Amino acid sequence: MSTPGPERVPSTVKVGKTSGQGKPPAGGSRPGASRPGAKKSAPGKGGKGRKPVTPVKVAGGRNWGPLAVAGVVVLIAVGIIGYGVFAAVKGGGSWEDRVNAIDGVVDYRAQKNAAIDARDHKEGALKYVTSPPVGGAHNGVWQNCMGDIYDQPIADEHAVHSLEHGAVWVTYKPGLAADQIDELKKKVQGQDYMLMSPYAGLDKNISVQVWGYQLKVDDADDSRIGEFIKNARLNASMEPGAACSSGNTTTGPVTASAPGTGMTGK
Amino acid sequence: MPVTTDPGAAATVAAPDGGPGGARRFGPWWLVATLVLGLALGLGGGVLIPRLTHPGDDSVEAGFLRDMSTHHAQAVEMSMIAHADSTNARIVTLSGDIALTQHGQIGYMQAWLRGWGLSPTSSAEPMAWMPDAAGSVVNGLMPGMATPEQLAQLREAKGKDLDIQFLTLMRQHHLGGIHMAQEILKLSDNKDVTWLAQTMVTGQQSEINLIDQLLKGLQAS
Repeated sequence: MSTPGPERVPSTVKVGKTSGQGKPPAGGSRPGASRPGAKKSAPGKGGKGRKPVTPVKVAGGRNWGPLAVAGVVVLIAVGIIGYGVFAAVKGGGSWEDRVNAIDGVVDYRAQKNAAIDARDHKEGALKYVTSPPVGGAHNGVWQNCMGDIYDQPIADEHAVHSLEHGAVWVTYKPGLAADQIDELKKKVQGQDYMLMSPYAGLDKNISVQVWGYQLKVDDADDSRIGEFIKNARLNASMEPGAACSSGNTTTGPVTASAPGTGMTGK
Repeated sequence: MPVTTDPGAAATVAAPDGGPGGARRFGPWWLVATLVLGLALGLGGGVLIPRLTHPGDDSVEAGFLRDMSTHHAQAVEMSMIAHADSTNARIVTLSGDIALTQHGQIGYMQAWLRGWGLSPTSSAEPMAWMPDAAGSVVNGLMPGMATPEQLAQLREAKGKDLDIQFLTLMRQHHLGGIHMAQEILKLSDNKDVTWLAQTMVTGQQSEINLIDQLLKGLQAS
């Protein structure tokens, strides 16, 4: 409240310049301030109305100062709000948006395909509409996904259940160069909600998937793999809090006995 | 009327200070400007302050919560194997206790990360939040964590062999976990994080004492 005070002082100087014409509105304010001040002060029209001659000169002094100050204040305000919104949007975008922003990612969640969205538990061998699968009905036992590196193909039916728990499944063409496989291993080992296995019939060297999202690339050094893992791992979980341990740790196709192997999935 | 009294009062107060005409004309402008500025500061502050007071994406707290979640997850994994396969009632109880406690603590840690608007995981190397931690991570494994080979052996073990392997691995795992928790106690003053870390230090230390007792008994039998 103290700030308006000092800035009024220069304004009074301006008024002082036009002392002859300036007095009438000043004089008019005294009776006005006593009681009906509320009526007159708010609009400021009273000043205009009283002296038809003076407003031309006073108007110049009256409008530019406050307008400039108000303009600066509004600019500051817009800047503060703008920065806040920018910071919020930049840091707070959804993980789905960040995954979709990665070049080459296919968003199967957006397709609303019932075969992919299905989450039922079913026994035995199951058919999936994508290769590798990114969702759909699956075996009751999930594949252990505690950074497990399987050197042989694993059952889709178990792996899809791991995707449901939030795991990133890294798959590669059998016979991929050893240094490429090692590069992928580094991204998986020691990391929970990660698993890796060779996958026959891939149309690219590497396919990385979570529930409902898939990225296929040819080079293990491709930075998009890391981006995908960083943004989708665990975020993609359909069952927050579900574990990756206590899963099946064997390789090979799903067996008839698999559903009954129990929690440790031996 | 009470609303219009305010600008009137402002003008009245201003009148003795300087030119009453100036005060009169500037009053509404200042009021609007002040309101707009106040609104802006309030909105801006409301958006920014939570972000500034919560630990950020590269904070030691976020690093600790993410890494300890992964570290805890392996304790749950080993405990569930022992819980399912051990025939020793004391091992079944201890492993169930560890699995439930640590899985519950993962929930706390993940919920805080989510509450701070942070991702549950990051692309940072394990232990990157801890100073001088280089070299403590071997093949992506944090201090105290069992290797894939040790876990494979544990899955195959039976009877007393299983119990001893489980206790030995868990003792090592707890020592690594306590080390990490003690580090975050030094580095952080976040109330929630240090509270949980302190319970990890004391809880796992007392479990190590119990493990030592059980190991002694098993090795004597």
